[in-house]
Amino acid sequence: MELNINGKNVTVEVEDTMPLLWVLRDELNMTGTKYGCGVSACGACSVMLDGVATRTCILPVAAAVGKPIKTIEGIADGENQLSAVQRAWIEHQVPQCGYCQSGMIMAAEALLDNNPDPSDEDIDKAMTNICRCGTYQRVRSAIKGAAKMRAGENSLLSSL
Amino acid sequence: MAKDNSKKRKWTRRAFIITGGLAGTGLVVGVAGNLYMNKAVKKYSGIGMGEGSSLNAWIRIAPDNTVTLAVPRAEMGQGIYTALPMLIAEELEIDMNSIEVIHPQPDKPYTNTFLVTQKEPNAFKGYTMMEKVYTFIGIVGTGGSTSVPDGFNNMRYAGATAREMLKKAAADKWGVAVAECRAEKGYIINAKNERLSYGELAEAASSIKIKDLPELKKKEDWTIIQKPIQRVDIPEKVTGDAEFGLDVRLKDMLYAAVRHPATIGGKITGINNQIDIEGMRGVKKVVLTDFGAAVIADNTWRAKNAALALDLAEDDGGNTGISSASIAQQLTDILAAKPLATPEDEGDVNTALSGSGKVIEARYDVPYLAHATMEPMNCTVQIEEGKAAVWVGHQAPFVVQNAVNEISGIDQSAILVHTTYLGGGFGRRAEPDFVKAATAIAQSMPGTPIQTVFTREEDMRNDMYRPAVASQFKAAVNEKGEIEAWDNMIALQSVSNSSMSRVMPSMAVKPKDDIATTEGAMHLPYHMNNRRVAFGQLDLPIQVGYWRSVGSSQNGFFTECFMDECAEAAGKDPYEFRRSKLDKHPRFKAVLDKAAEMSNWKTPLPENKFRGIALHKSFGSIVAEVAEITKLGDKEFSIDNYYCAIDCGQYVNPNTIEAQMQGGIVFGLSAALYGEITWNNGQVEQYNFPQYDMVRMNVSPTVAVHIMEVDEYPGGVGEPGTPPAAPALVNALAAATGVRERSLPLAKQGYRFV
Repeated sequence: MELNINGKNVTVEVEDTMPLLWVLRDELNMTGTKYGCGVSACGACSVMLDGVATRTCILPVAAAVGKPIKTIEGIADGENQLSAVQRAWIEHQVPQCGYCQSGMIMAAEALLDNNPDPSDEDIDKAMTNICRCGTYQRVRSAIKGAAKMRAGENSLLSSL
Repeated sequence: MAKDNSKKRKWTRRAFIITGGLAGTGLVVGVAGNLYMNKAVKKYSGIGMGEGSSLNAWIRIAPDNTVTLAVPRAEMGQGIYTALPMLIAEELEIDMNSIEVIHPQPDKPYTNTFLVTQKEPNAFKGYTMMEKVYTFIGIVGTGGSTSVPDGFNNMRYAGATAREMLKKAAADKWGVAVAECRAEKGYIINAKNERLSYGELAEAASSIKIKDLPELKKKEDWTIIQKPIQRVDIPEKVTGDAEFGLDVRLKDMLYAAVRHPATIGGKITGINNQIDIEGMRGVKKVVLTDFGAAVIADNTWRAKNAALALDLAEDDGGNTGISSASIAQQLTDILAAKPLATPEDEGDVNTALSGSGKVIEARYDVPYLAHATMEPMNCTVQIEEGKAAVWVGHQAPFVVQNAVNEISGIDQSAILVHTTYLGGGFGRRAEPDFVKAATAIAQSMPGTPIQTVFTREEDMRNDMYRPAVASQFKAAVNEKGEIEAWDNMIALQSVSNSSMSRVMPSMAVKPKDDIATTEGAMHLPYHMNNRRVAFGQLDLPIQVGYWRSVGSSQNGFFTECFMDECAEAAGKDPYEFRRSKLDKHPRFKAVLDKAAEMSNWKTPLPENKFRGIALHKSFGSIVAEVAEITKLGDKEFSIDNYYCAIDCGQYVNPNTIEAQMQGGIVFGLSAALYGEITWNNGQVEQYNFPQYDMVRMNVSPTVAVHIMEVDEYPGGVGEPGTPPAAPALVNALAAATGVRERSLPLAKQGYRFV
């Protein structure tokens, strides 16, 4: 099977039914995407599949073939430039234990891609991941911060 | 045992060197009379600490000026990889941006004496006899919100003595007096403004002995402590590079999934379809251990599926009669029986209760709770001839060594413990069970590193639960609004008796001596004319354990709700009622006042909005919280705001403390709203988040935090935010509905939160 992960094509020889999560973690050693529940309840395994935040612990790998997969390892804009969401996450000091944060960040990236200026209600609706440490308040402020950063960067780009 | 280099680690700050001898020249310091430490430090100065020279067990400086700091406490989100280095950096005069943090192998200098003594330690001045004993045992652990209380002196002196060694080395080089030298941002500078970098001086400094203990900087001169410093672990936690236990990848590593006995105290006696399972794709081996059956495979998912397909024969241990109903009845019986112990008994409670005051009575109940860390329990073990290596996110590496030793017979000194980040701890990761299971499984394939995983379902059904607790109160309130009598009887399974028998059997306490049972129920700060706190023990084969804030997690809820009931009986405002009883405890009063002020307590709220207040001391810190809620419908509420004031003495990193209060409140709310583990036929009924839900973004309140400026010795911050969360909410609900809820979780009583 050929997958497209973070812009690169990768071939894996696994069962069609193996969830994408375990292909990433155990076959490709891309461990940034986390196992939390295995039943699509917590969101720790979220990636972007074709631009949509997707929980991979119950997603058969065959269903990801032919669609671009973006993981936490692939969202930085370059070697030394983290994405706006990542930078906001650092600025707002969001993570505690950090285990759920890859999934949180992927859900936030997808939210902002579709809705550049989300309201509190939009954030509540889109961000349904579980954080056992309870970082929600800082997640919310970081999303708003990232939205501003993205808006600033976009206006900078369009003025060039 | 080389690491698989195929994994890119470009963002990682933390060196994670697996083997390595005693690199560098580091002879080590200490101060007068502390030879014990010198020896231990010399022995461990090289492992994982990079190139350079060790100035003591915590500090190593390379010629290129890289300063590596060893933090022997588990980073589980509380920010300890930043807080302890802040204490060192303040005295060592280095920039926090110039440090690398590593987690050292466990050894005696890294003992957390405060965890056992609850007394302010000072290793550099010299340990007390008991501290020496604990250091000899090597109790290297993280828990009880003790890392800063344990390290507040020790880490500052570690930095200060190293700084003096560097100054002396520079003075010798220049041929000037030490007094002419000063330390600044990684350099020693002399009167002529000549400078030498720490990197240039470290080798010479490492063999210098300091005779006198240097003076520590005064609080007003601090430039790092008490400043909101950014955490060192956060950059790699936003890129996916942070390595948790489950992320360990080693060459030729295999994965194992475990099936525990389904019934508490049961035992798996056989596997009926072993040959079929061994034929499944990727399966390498099926093993039956004392801890359960396991499948070893080349991929976690294959191991998990094969483990699920195992057809197991199980002896239920005769425990199928255990159910939540039977437990509730037993708790009721214990409340009515003679107490096992009465640790607090002041005045004459019986006489006072039969006096003229208004008498009120209430029974409160909370259920068993799972820790449900986001990262399920796991441990990677490689067993070789006479030695072992373990990769695990664990709160107590000495417990890991003892567990591996117990199963394998390998001497503790030949067991390397590589402590990764913890995907949540909350007390669960102090237990040895998952290390023992992983060791037994790894023993079946010597030489091969095996990562043993409890699936979420196995994790939740095989936790060491916060016990179910029943608490009976009777109080008399007199016409002046004084508490004439306070009588509290508690029934539960002793946590320390159960947990310590697994974690440190030599220090296991009897139920009657367990101070965790009554922590947060005794020594309440409020003035009471007569008071009594007693408890009884429920004996069951259910394993109970330390759960964030332990006894205070329930006693804070019980006592602070019943205080509101007393206020109501006295016809007083709940804040004023508490305040009037705190004249002898100004720190409590100040914290309570602050939370009330933050919430504008004295200003009436708009229609359908209500407040509740709670005050509780745990782990050395006093926290007051006001919950502000909106009534949306019958039993339907939103939790809008929490106002939280904390007095934790001299604080270290305000950025982290704010986060811990916010998170501690959410942790308490998840329990108050949804948390319940129930039993039927001797089995746990919940097995994943859909049955054991958590507060999520939409329900989470906005929390404002104020840290009191107090010059007392530091208290903890990881746990004290949790206990007041539930009573503040339930007191607000009572204000809204006039109905007093005395049993958690609230969802079970029909409440909805949106």
